[in-house]
Amino acid sequence: MNTLVTRGIQALMVAVLIGAATFAMMRALPGDAAYRIAAGRYGYDNVDTAAADAVRDELGLDGPALPALLHWLGDLLRLDFGNSLVSGQPVIAEIGHQLGASLSLAAVAVVLSLIMGPPLGILAGLRPGGLLDRGLLVVSTGLKAVPQFLMALILILILSVQFRLLPAAGYGAARHFILPALALALGLAAVNARIARDAMARIGAMPFYSFAQWKGLSRRQALLHHGLRNVSVPLLTYLGLQFVTLVEGVVVVEAIFGWPGIGHALVHAIFSRDVPMVQGTALCLGLGFVLINTAIDLLTARIDPRRAA
Amino acid sequence: MKHTLAFLAAALIATALPAQADDTLDVVAQFEIQSPEPSTTGYIFTRMGITETLTHADPQGVLTPGLATDWTADGDGLSWTFTLRDGVRFHDGTAMTAEAVAAALDIARTKPGPLAKTPITAIKAMDGAVVITLSDPFAALPAYLAHFSAQILAPAAYGAEDAGVTVIGTGPYKITDLAPPLSLKAEAFDGYWGPAPHVPNVRYSAVSRVETRALMAESGDADFVFGLDPASVARLGLSDAVTVHSVAIPRVLLIKVNADHPALSEPEARRALSLAIDREGIARAVLRYPEGATQLFPPSVGAWHNDSLVPLAHDPGKAKELLQGLGWTMGGDGILTRNGERFALTLTTYPDRPELPLVAAVLEQQFRAIGAELTINTTNSSEISAGHADGSLDLGLIARNFGLIPNPVGTILSDYAPTGDWGAMGWQNDEITDLARSVGRGDGGAPARARITEILQTELPIIPIAWYRQTLAVAKGVEGAVIDPWERTFGLPELRLSQ
Amino acid sequence: MTDAVMIPRRAGHALRWTGAALVAASLILAVVGPLAVPGDPLAQSLTKALSGPEPAAPLGYDHLGRSIFHRLAAALRLSPAIAIAAVLTAGLAGLVLGTWAAARGGWTDRILTMLADALLALPGLLLVLMVLAIVPGTAPGFWAGLSLVLWVEFFRLTRAATRAVLASPAVQATRLLGFGPVYVFRTHIWPEIAPMMLTAAAFGTATAIMAIAALGFVHVGMRAPTPELGLMMVELLPYWREAPLALLSPVMATFALLLGLTLLAGSRDT
Repeated sequence: MNTLVTRGIQALMVAVLIGAATFAMMRALPGDAAYRIAAGRYGYDNVDTAAADAVRDELGLDGPALPALLHWLGDLLRLDFGNSLVSGQPVIAEIGHQLGASLSLAAVAVVLSLIMGPPLGILAGLRPGGLLDRGLLVVSTGLKAVPQFLMALILILILSVQFRLLPAAGYGAARHFILPALALALGLAAVNARIARDAMARIGAMPFYSFAQWKGLSRRQALLHHGLRNVSVPLLTYLGLQFVTLVEGVVVVEAIFGWPGIGHALVHAIFSRDVPMVQGTALCLGLGFVLINTAIDLLTARIDPRRAA
Repeated sequence: MKHTLAFLAAALIATALPAQADDTLDVVAQFEIQSPEPSTTGYIFTRMGITETLTHADPQGVLTPGLATDWTADGDGLSWTFTLRDGVRFHDGTAMTAEAVAAALDIARTKPGPLAKTPITAIKAMDGAVVITLSDPFAALPAYLAHFSAQILAPAAYGAEDAGVTVIGTGPYKITDLAPPLSLKAEAFDGYWGPAPHVPNVRYSAVSRVETRALMAESGDADFVFGLDPASVARLGLSDAVTVHSVAIPRVLLIKVNADHPALSEPEARRALSLAIDREGIARAVLRYPEGATQLFPPSVGAWHNDSLVPLAHDPGKAKELLQGLGWTMGGDGILTRNGERFALTLTTYPDRPELPLVAAVLEQQFRAIGAELTINTTNSSEISAGHADGSLDLGLIARNFGLIPNPVGTILSDYAPTGDWGAMGWQNDEITDLARSVGRGDGGAPARARITEILQTELPIIPIAWYRQTLAVAKGVEGAVIDPWERTFGLPELRLSQ
Repeated sequence: MTDAVMIPRRAGHALRWTGAALVAASLILAVVGPLAVPGDPLAQSLTKALSGPEPAAPLGYDHLGRSIFHRLAAALRLSPAIAIAAVLTAGLAGLVLGTWAAARGGWTDRILTMLADALLALPGLLLVLMVLAIVPGTAPGFWAGLSLVLWVEFFRLTRAATRAVLASPAVQATRLLGFGPVYVFRTHIWPEIAPMMLTAAAFGTATAIMAIAALGFVHVGMRAPTPELGLMMVELLPYWREAPLALLSPVMATFALLLGLTLLAGSRDT
């Protein structure tokens, strides 16, 4: 219960913070908002003062700040995100459109990272100091130091440009998933593997684990019954924290691969001063993070009842 | 876990399949789909062959029949009759009536766009024709009706406040799925009035990054890739998988100059800047074009290219002399000063066209060589317009389209008669205004056009740098691709997949 | 997940030294390089575009005929400078606010913690992007945005450690002896948090450099012609076939710098 209250307050703070920041953005962005929105709508061949004036009239961009802020936060509290300034479509509908693409990319990336990382980590953790353990340390340290955009660049250069195995961009078919998901997953897997390895090494050194083997369970049984459950707790906690990294990665990776998700939309909205879209996407990312962490809190409490106290 | 593995296996199998195993043509370009609104996204719909206009244009800019088969003006030039094509159906099956056409045009001219700048007073539906009445004679009117914003949509396409809500056009392709901002799918429309297209399905994807577009062309993930950067053109030219097309278009890379700026108000100062530019070097090394601009209009725009003009040249020594003559002296830091003012300017440009920031970086060095300091501001394209309106712009590096309508007089009128957001700033010339209006009315001919180009060449309210080339990469196996220099259509109905 | 469990101490030391060496190498390239081979990162000679290395340009020329060596050196000064400025600001803010929150407790503590938690729930890149859109000028924007992102980590570390230390018998004894808060901070709190702060600072610097490069790479960060690592990569990407070395230079430099910082920080996984 306590967890839920804390997380609820956190969610509220996130909403107020984003509301205030996007409002400040609306007012303080350098340049004239009407022109920038007009450019977003009509393209650079057709943006001119007439187009900007039309936008200004339509959106009522001139007005005193304080009532506007109150109105703004009021709309936010009623969960009314307004319409995109560029397309005129409701923000909520656009986000609904993009969320699916982002979530599927993030999900594939997490699954990929879990397939690659933890199994290797557990194997390494079973024999700390072994060849696999040392090799994994070098590889995961290297991978962790590669930011996602650089990973994307390297993957594109090797798999797409040099060997022409995979498409460098696009959306719709399964093969379009591989490069962006891999760009996200490799970094996650590097850390997953380390965490699984540490947890396994620690558990492997604990008396109860030796006892499990001593009482006659095979290595395999000991691992399945006692090892995995204990390894999964730090992994889950970590996954929650890693969501922020994943979201950041999604922003950059979507922009690079032309993936029609929230990150792409956010970068675009910031560019064309589409503040309602910025607010909507930022809220979605922030609240999503709080939500996932709440879920993970509850889940770890399930797996490891000691923590529930 | 099993599902995941199955998914991965499926993904890997899908990877092994060739990209083009279907009857869908993949078109990729930089333009994002905003909404079904014709005044904003309409150019994608016309290019994709989904919607059509009353008039069309051939590559030379000669108007050809579109949804109108014929058009005539009456004696005083104040009333135009456009005879509509018979038997045209909208994608929803309804017939294209004169009332529907008149309503679509009436909606179009209330929205920002070229039509709003024409002297139209009324649009009436007659029997099988629309009649447009004007307050002043305007010979260029049929060309304005070829602009994408004048596309004809069914009455049901518009919602409240005349906003476009669905795209119901008359073109050879009919939208099956519209997913802003990145994609749309369309199929051949079986009720099309003209010959049926060869490719049954087309898909449009917006990919804003030019590097990515080039990679998609290279990897065969797209069949028809529009708008490539110079480096990719060179690289793709060596590839066996694609054919690269490149055509000169009536779009000019130029510097918009604020003639109200104290350092730029004298024509000699603008000429000095022009002399500082190595157009040949920029064209060959940066743009990888065969030639630099020698005047505003390229030879391909025959009616406006003026062979008698003295070509714009590169002569930094002469540029320095000109500036010295204006009272500028070289300061200790290599920058000119006059009465305590440094010759320091900001050049505003935008990244939508990848070559603009590159050329800006080159200009910075070439201007420095004659003692002019340039700060580059790469920002949103709207800053050019906004800077024009509030007078804060010094120099703008832009790619101006003289083919907004298939007649450059449209752009000349909006940019130089007398000034315009993407044209002259702080520079007015009554003679050019009169001449441009006479060309627009239809009573000014070749001499008027020649005089306009001559004034622009000597006064330099804008400094031309290069004539654009439109680039296109087409996958091997796709035949019949042609670039429309007026940027009105991708020409999809003429394409064939040979397999 | 402490180092003691993970890696034998000797290996840990070796890794840190490798990290320090990598960071030092890139800083030497950035600072000493241009002194050894003088040149201008902005000067172009279009005729030399994409040509190979020569004595005046040890890494060859980019697509505008600018020396990649000198652009790289300039970029390796720019990003770390912004990153270090942001880390110092964030570290100071986090230290002051964290100690304050721990010492005062009550509403001060609660409000600051709530603010930190809310900021923690926002992707850092998003915050930086928004601040960049509000603050005029790219470098100050990055500094402000990154400081806003990074202070939370320092704040949380300081607050947690300070609370623990303040509750310890040693501090209570010191207080009873009449020593002031400054003395308590110097003798008890700082020695406790200093190693953590250094680790966090190394991580923060790496994060900041990554953010600058990532946003440069997607064209929303530093603007051309400023030499910046991400921007250099995206500019040189189209010329990969013609001049692979040109693209590899910023890629390798970025990797070395980030790897160095990660190793220097030691292994810490969250």
